[in-house]
Amino acid sequence: MSEAATPDLKSRVQDLIDTMINPAVAGHGGFVELIDVQDNRVYLTMGGGCQGCGAADVTLKAGIERLIKEELPEVTEVLDTTDHSQGTNPYYTAGKS
Amino acid sequence: MSTVGGSARLLLLLPTRTYRTEDFVDAARTLGVDLVCASEKPSTLEALAPDGLLTLDFADPERAAAAVADWSKARPLAAVVGVDDVTAAAAAAIAARLGLRASAPAAVAAARDKFQMRQCLAAAGVPVPRFRRIALADNPVLAARGVEFPCVLKPLSLSASRGVIRANTIEQFVVAFERIAALLVRDDVTVSGDAARYLLAEEYVPGLEVALEGLLIRGRLHVLALFDKPDPLEGPFFEETIYVTPSRLPDAVQRAIAATTTAACAALGLTEGPVHAELRVNDDGPWVLEIAARSIGGLCSRTLRFGTGMTLEEIILRHALGWSIASLERERPAAGVMMIPIPRAGVLRTVHGLDEASATRHVEDVVISAHAGQELIPLPEGWQYLGFIFARTERPADVEDALRIAHSRLRFVID
Repeated sequence: MSEAATPDLKSRVQDLIDTMINPAVAGHGGFVELIDVQDNRVYLTMGGGCQGCGAADVTLKAGIERLIKEELPEVTEVLDTTDHSQGTNPYYTAGKS
Repeated sequence: MSTVGGSARLLLLLPTRTYRTEDFVDAARTLGVDLVCASEKPSTLEALAPDGLLTLDFADPERAAAAVADWSKARPLAAVVGVDDVTAAAAAAIAARLGLRASAPAAVAAARDKFQMRQCLAAAGVPVPRFRRIALADNPVLAARGVEFPCVLKPLSLSASRGVIRANTIEQFVVAFERIAALLVRDDVTVSGDAARYLLAEEYVPGLEVALEGLLIRGRLHVLALFDKPDPLEGPFFEETIYVTPSRLPDAVQRAIAATTTAACAALGLTEGPVHAELRVNDDGPWVLEIAARSIGGLCSRTLRFGTGMTLEEIILRHALGWSIASLERERPAAGVMMIPIPRAGVLRTVHGLDEASATRHVEDVVISAHAGQELIPLPEGWQYLGFIFARTERPADVEDALRIAHSRLRFVID
């Protein structure tokens, strides 16, 4: 049975998103929304310029997850639940390579 | 130490517009490495996560290598991997500087320049079309008098058939020449040096076309997959659509293709890492059209699984890290992909028939990678696909049929 996060951890993740992550990704017209924290896993969605962006995985794994884990070491993983196929204004569009 | 808390630190070079990011990042996650990502443009989070994000000038491999050498003094790297032609050159330079596993920078650079590549291969006796490098400053009418027809004109460095045009006459040659010259100065094309000053004109080689996906380990080529391209590629443009593996060509022909690719790798001096080769096959045997020091492009690698389900990207990362690879044998069922071509220029409004296409027998997935509102540019100027269809079953012919049926069920509204 999965365990809901203590309000404390969820609110600390939310605080990080509000104060550090969203002000940064706003530079590319993006935003991140916290969906839930369960069993020390953070579930979020990416919107605006991040939704469908070719670099969204980089932003998530090498940026957001690293930042959250550094600030909150009890977090084990950050998972993206975004439907990137529905993005209509991605900052970077993938091309051939 | 090149490990963090027991995890090896891996640097992935990911252009901001590559299709390859998701699959390589997923592979890194599966392997549990400490992932560092570098792009040619700064991430919005780079200042907050300097241990995980880097900005590098991929177009200048030596400069990129110097930057990484400085960065890695406090954060040693266990491996570096590039995911396309441009980043493969930067990765080779970084690897050489840091003593990591990769082919020599000169070999990767030779593979990146179609003229240099053909010179190396021809000198080694590897069959390639007759070719000439022509300066874009030259008079195209005069240049056309020096080639045999039909011929194919192409930029020296672009990939995925971008700018590749067949000409059967002097008039068509001149039109193609001017079209490539205009393409090379577009905002979305980054070329410099010879690639900005020349194009290549080469003999058109008739025949079937195949793509070989391989991995070089200490100079030995391991063939990971051989793809047939069942749609004829006769020009005037060379849009790639369907890839199906295993190949239905006779075993002897497949062995000849592997032997020719092995000879091509040796001629260029490629010794480590992924290679993607394109060959034509006719009564005279295999001809090398391209050989690149990278893995297959787009999302096409999703057709491939090895051993007990390992992805191509996991194999590439394991090789770069010097880790063991349980099996390089592709799973038994046939598999294929259709790169959905852009039928005409315009703006994509919507896609109908996705559920019907996805429900096609043997189809595993349909991914629409273009987004609503996106400007679509077809070949030869374009560089994107509408999406990808994936199919898998026992027989290659059934895979091909499934891809065609699924594609016929999709309707793209383009204004």
